[in-house]
Amino acid sequence: MDKGLLAYLLIPLFTAVVIPFAARRRAKLADILANVTLLAGLANLAWLVLRPSVIADGFTSVPGDGLSILLVGLIYLVALCVTFFSAEFLPEEMPNRSAYYSLIMVSVAAMCGVVTTSDFFTLYVFIEVLAVTSFALITTDDSRAGVEGALKYFFLTFPASALIMIGISLLLLTLGSLSYDSLRLVMASGIPSGPVVFGMALITLGFLIKSGVVPFHAWTPDAYQGAYAPVSAHLGGIVTKISGVYAVLKISTLMNFAEGMAPGLSGGIMFLGMLSIAVGALAALKQKDFKRMLAFSSISQVGYIILAAGLGTPLAIIGAIFHLVNHATFKTVLFLNSASLEKSAGTTDMEKLGGMEHSMPWTSWTSVIALLSTAGVPPLSGFWSKLLIILALWQYGFKTYAVLALLFSIVTLAYFMLMQKKVFFGKKSAASERSPEVSCALLTPVIVMSAVIVAVGLLFPYFYSYVWMVAERIFL
Amino acid sequence: MNFFAFDWYFIALLLFIGFYAMLASSSIIRQLIGLEIVSKGVMLAVISAGALTNNLQLAQAIVITMIVIEVVVVAAGLALLVKNHRLSGLADIWKLNGLKG
Amino acid sequence: MIYHTLLFSLAVIAAIWAVMARNLLTSAIMLALVSVCASLLLFNFNAPWAAVFELSVCAGLITVLFISGVSLIRASTSTTAEKMTYLKVLPLALGIFGIAAWFYLPPFFAELAGWKYTAAEAGPIGKVLWELRRPDLLGQIAMLAAGVFVIKSVFPKRRTVK
Repeated sequence: MDKGLLAYLLIPLFTAVVIPFAARRRAKLADILANVTLLAGLANLAWLVLRPSVIADGFTSVPGDGLSILLVGLIYLVALCVTFFSAEFLPEEMPNRSAYYSLIMVSVAAMCGVVTTSDFFTLYVFIEVLAVTSFALITTDDSRAGVEGALKYFFLTFPASALIMIGISLLLLTLGSLSYDSLRLVMASGIPSGPVVFGMALITLGFLIKSGVVPFHAWTPDAYQGAYAPVSAHLGGIVTKISGVYAVLKISTLMNFAEGMAPGLSGGIMFLGMLSIAVGALAALKQKDFKRMLAFSSISQVGYIILAAGLGTPLAIIGAIFHLVNHATFKTVLFLNSASLEKSAGTTDMEKLGGMEHSMPWTSWTSVIALLSTAGVPPLSGFWSKLLIILALWQYGFKTYAVLALLFSIVTLAYFMLMQKKVFFGKKSAASERSPEVSCALLTPVIVMSAVIVAVGLLFPYFYSYVWMVAERIFL
Repeated sequence: MNFFAFDWYFIALLLFIGFYAMLASSSIIRQLIGLEIVSKGVMLAVISAGALTNNLQLAQAIVITMIVIEVVVVAAGLALLVKNHRLSGLADIWKLNGLKG
Repeated sequence: MIYHTLLFSLAVIAAIWAVMARNLLTSAIMLALVSVCASLLLFNFNAPWAAVFELSVCAGLITVLFISGVSLIRASTSTTAEKMTYLKVLPLALGIFGIAAWFYLPPFFAELAGWKYTAAEAGPIGKVLWELRRPDLLGQIAMLAAGVFVIKSVFPKRRTVK
């Protein structure tokens, strides 16, 4: 376990335990504690990584494996946006306000545990903690849709946990130890070990089910649509990434796919990634509800990350990490905006919303930036990460996959253009007449995230050198 | 030791029963029972693998942690079940189709 | 060998009974029986710590949780009967799977056992838990905290009448 980053795990856990006691008298103290903890953590990370001296020498003095720090920073950023948004969004008389913030703090601690561990069983333990907090967060309000989404998430991801544990027991049998380093040693030594690959295939299948790739995506739309509004942003922005996609990425860096070890597993992962891109993009075309459409678009983008992870060359891993970070930023913006739309206009049905730009300009423009970045329009950040993935595929020889990935990106772009024109621009509908712009506190996190999207897109060279450093440290 | 192959055969039977119960039952409590049976099977698999490779201490450490996780997961599942019953009066998972789109 | 096979068969029979019983209380009791069989098997495997944990936690605590869950949703007095058609087919499905698997699975597992990697002798379990697997203990603490907050969140104390 990365000892230096242990504090990022312990402090949110400590805050989670303190919140119920502190908030007994004044309920708003829970919000303040949660936000201050996350802000302090983020400031500390920014000092570690973004000082001018560190940037100037090419990020070589960043401690440990650069990937853990990057993901811890992303976790804190998304969670800070969600808690800041919830401070204003939660109704005054909500009885489980302190439990909500405690659960978000515990899930942040669990996610930091996931990205800093170096052992498969510890990874499993923290992912189960994350799943348990997600069940309760999805049903924070007393809606039937929430409980339905949570029950589907519970029963459809439990088989994945069972598969991961069976894979771990096979690893215990054939490898003798459950740490990442022992797996890397065995795979790098060039001796193909059939049962070890079989155990890893079971573990990878379990994590693919947890990330919501096709054909195991039945829980994803219901969980996102039914969840309480800020929780959809938390879930879609960071939780499904860390609980499924991160593990597949880590496994692909350990398994040495680029040198041709385990070709069956690599080919299978790439095929499922491509299938997710296709099904997600096509199903998003038919949706009428904004949140459900976002859920299918999430499935499609996760497909890109899985496709690149299956390939395993250094350029593909860089593209996958970059796309993971980008996708977290745009989905946070989009889900938080859909929560604003729901609060202000009362509906998320795309047929009924029209011409929202006239009455909610900030919400509309930030959503437009996030949607354009998802579709891959230059110079926003989404363009660069998709370009890296398609280039990596083309370079390695998978020309059909590269062409198909590009094609579906164009389909997504066309659909988003049409949808934006109808929902945000275009003539005013009855819904837009009666919905005022939401308050400043709800807009601030969205504006900050959109600024991050634009900044990462424009400052791409710095970001690329950081991710290149990470890839070097992983592969050498 | 040809204990191992027979043990894992029985474990495979237990896993089949558990997964079948999760798929085919209509009451949520019965699905939780299937979930529990699957967990028992997996625990036996881990200990059996540890016994064969003389690694019982590590296997026992894993199983102890797994039992703690399983208790909290079952408690969360039962809490969701009770909340569902309060809100909609049903305990039948195949009738949950309010979110269609 | 006989003892092992007997315990495993008892566990399988109790599991089938638990799944097929109409009364949910019977299912919970049969699940406790499966836990007891698993615990005895763990004793036989020479894993006493895990066996004791399993006996006290699973056979005790989880059965209590299930019985309280069943009584909270008042399943025994509900009017709508549960649809049991697919569950009645379980013995047949299990029989087919068991016979088909008998030909393929044991040789597969015997071959897997051939790849085993005998590990070096580790210390007593306390040392292994504390030295090697300390992050897991942190994970357990996080899990228990998560469990407490889940119950607090799903059943909040309401100040006004619902």
